Amino acid sequence: MELAEKLKILSAAAKYDVSCSSSGSRRANVPGGVGSAAYSGICHSWTDDGRCVSLLKILFSNECLYNCAYCVNRISSDTPRATFTPEEVADLTINFYRRNYIEGLFLSSAIYRNENYTMELLLKTVKKLRHEYNFNGYIHLKAIPGADLALISEAGKYADRMSVNIELPSEEGLKLLAPRKKKEVILKSIGSLTENIKRYREERKVFKNTPTFVPAGQSTQLIVGATPDSDLKIMRLSETLYKSFDLKRVYYSAYVPVSNDPKLPRISSPPLVRENRLYQADWLLRFYGFSAGELLDKQHPNLDLELDPKASWALRNLHLFPVEINTAEYRMLLRVPGIGVTSAKRIAAARKVGSLGYEDLKKIGVVLKRARYFITCRGKYFGDVNIREDLIKNKLVGSFQRKSDGKQLTMFNDVVPYR
Amino acid sequence: MLYYIYDGSFQGLLTAVYEAYYRREEPFDITPENNFSGDLFARQVHIKTDGDKAGRVFRAVKEKISPRAIKQVYYVFLSEIMQRETLIYCYLKKGFKLGKDVDLYLTDKTVHEIQKVSQKVGREKHRMLGLIRFRKLVGDIYYAPIEPDYNIVTLVAPHFARRLSDQNWVIHDTRRGSAVLYNKKEWVLAQLDPGREFRLSEEEKDYQQMWRGYFNSASVPGRTNTRLQRQFMPVRYWKYLIEKQEL
Repeated sequence: MELAEKLKILSAAAKYDVSCSSSGSRRANVPGGVGSAAYSGICHSWTDDGRCVSLLKILFSNECLYNCAYCVNRISSDTPRATFTPEEVADLTINFYRRNYIEGLFLSSAIYRNENYTMELLLKTVKKLRHEYNFNGYIHLKAIPGADLALISEAGKYADRMSVNIELPSEEGLKLLAPRKKKEVILKSIGSLTENIKRYREERKVFKNTPTFVPAGQSTQLIVGATPDSDLKIMRLSETLYKSFDLKRVYYSAYVPVSNDPKLPRISSPPLVRENRLYQADWLLRFYGFSAGELLDKQHPNLDLELDPKASWALRNLHLFPVEINTAEYRMLLRVPGIGVTSAKRIAAARKVGSLGYEDLKKIGVVLKRARYFITCRGKYFGDVNIREDLIKNKLVGSFQRKSDGKQLTMFNDVVPYR
Repeated sequence: MLYYIYDGSFQGLLTAVYEAYYRREEPFDITPENNFSGDLFARQVHIKTDGDKAGRVFRAVKEKISPRAIKQVYYVFLSEIMQRETLIYCYLKKGFKLGKDVDLYLTDKTVHEIQKVSQKVGREKHRMLGLIRFRKLVGDIYYAPIEPDYNIVTLVAPHFARRLSDQNWVIHDTRRGSAVLYNKKEWVLAQLDPGREFRLSEEEKDYQQMWRGYFNSASVPGRTNTRLQRQFMPVRYWKYLIEKQEL
């Protein structure tokens, strides 16, 4: 089969993995080698679905042994199959990289023959890139759950980021849809990476020249909407992964219907708004100091689709508002709906050299459409309704509907799937 | 009214700031010589670019205001917006008075404008790190034409000199007729005629074809959202994107 044909098949098969980041690594160029990593990450293009292309995202093989119901590459699926050679992957990566099409390689694979055999092929490919081609660009490598942990650790020496996909947020989900994937095996692979990364960071503090081990950390992906799991369950899982397993990112992927398996829900389009809300909630966990328990509980197990999670939290906790912009603690500024990290930082900086009025906030670029209902400036309130849950909610939801013209998709303007 | 006229270079502008300070003058405007249209009563002072004086202003800004300030000033200079010189001059005057705290005065019009414009330039620079596309030419040279809004070609050069250190490359700003050239050792800024034709290497078409194929198959069909795509990647940048060109 021609290389172009293989690329077509194996990139189409990889696109449902939503991870796209190329950040977190400072791998430097070595003389005579090609490439370097940029700590902030760099997007190189954006496809028609609005997602960024940063890495050459491909499967090594899509000839899969497993039969996971939600997956296009399951053994029972009628889809063209192909398998690369390590040389082919290296050649494509280097040639795309030299033309600045990509920031590096994202290499995953179906289970080809068996778990260890697949992991060995992935390892062989990244070793070749690093040693023979002197490639110093970004590499995101999948760890194959169930493969020997020694193989996975070995691969960590060459990758910038690694990931093990959990896919389904509950054990029941896995049993039903992906019977060959086992929760314990997945968690063991994640846990062993966590430990090795921790050890590497400790050693690095003492010895500057410690060889790198997954310097950009690990990530995972959860599929949303293929099982009846609640958002509460998903956010609790994410929280644990961030806190106990030190994950860098959890990606959420709205289930795109790919088969008619009766075990799967019948939906006409992927639950994109829900996916967006989960990302917003995820951001609140990582950058805004929220805990999953604050955003969701047994009475509210799912995120409000009409309102962003911060606004719904604020409406349930109106007794904390309004906050005075000139005196509120930074962590409280971050909790005001409509004020993000950038705005909070600007407010914190500007108020050091003078008190801020409502017009000043506008001048420094804070968007007040939502924030005005939750703040005072020099003691004055600027919302056009009283501070009552129903009145404010009405205002916030109204502005959302006008903005989106009734179409759900445009809500995606708020998602920056970047880091 | 007093007008300072300088040669249009960054060094020239810093020299003008030096002169204003030491001559204790308050120029009403600082303008490049090819763009001067002062009125009849304008008093014109021609500033002679002086590397030494410029260097002293450069260091003073860095030390007495902040490294961030000198970076912002340079970025605003590269924005080529109308009246950038006067904006920079006003900002530096404030900066020398307030020190590093000048960038906290976000409600001040000058400070706000400096930060806004410099951010725009910084954003385009970052965007270009991703959107530049090299084509391999006969003779083993990688060539990338661009048409950025701002004059950022020297800002992206160091990144590619580090990253693609073992290949010859050219980044050509076809709108401004300037280019950075890299020869596996160092990069230089040079003039390069925008109309020049180049011959592609033999394998180039194949990789372009595969990249286009990859780009098209990477999109998830059920999630098409071209509005979002255009927001991140405005259409004005598509002209030189391999993946956005018809065959």
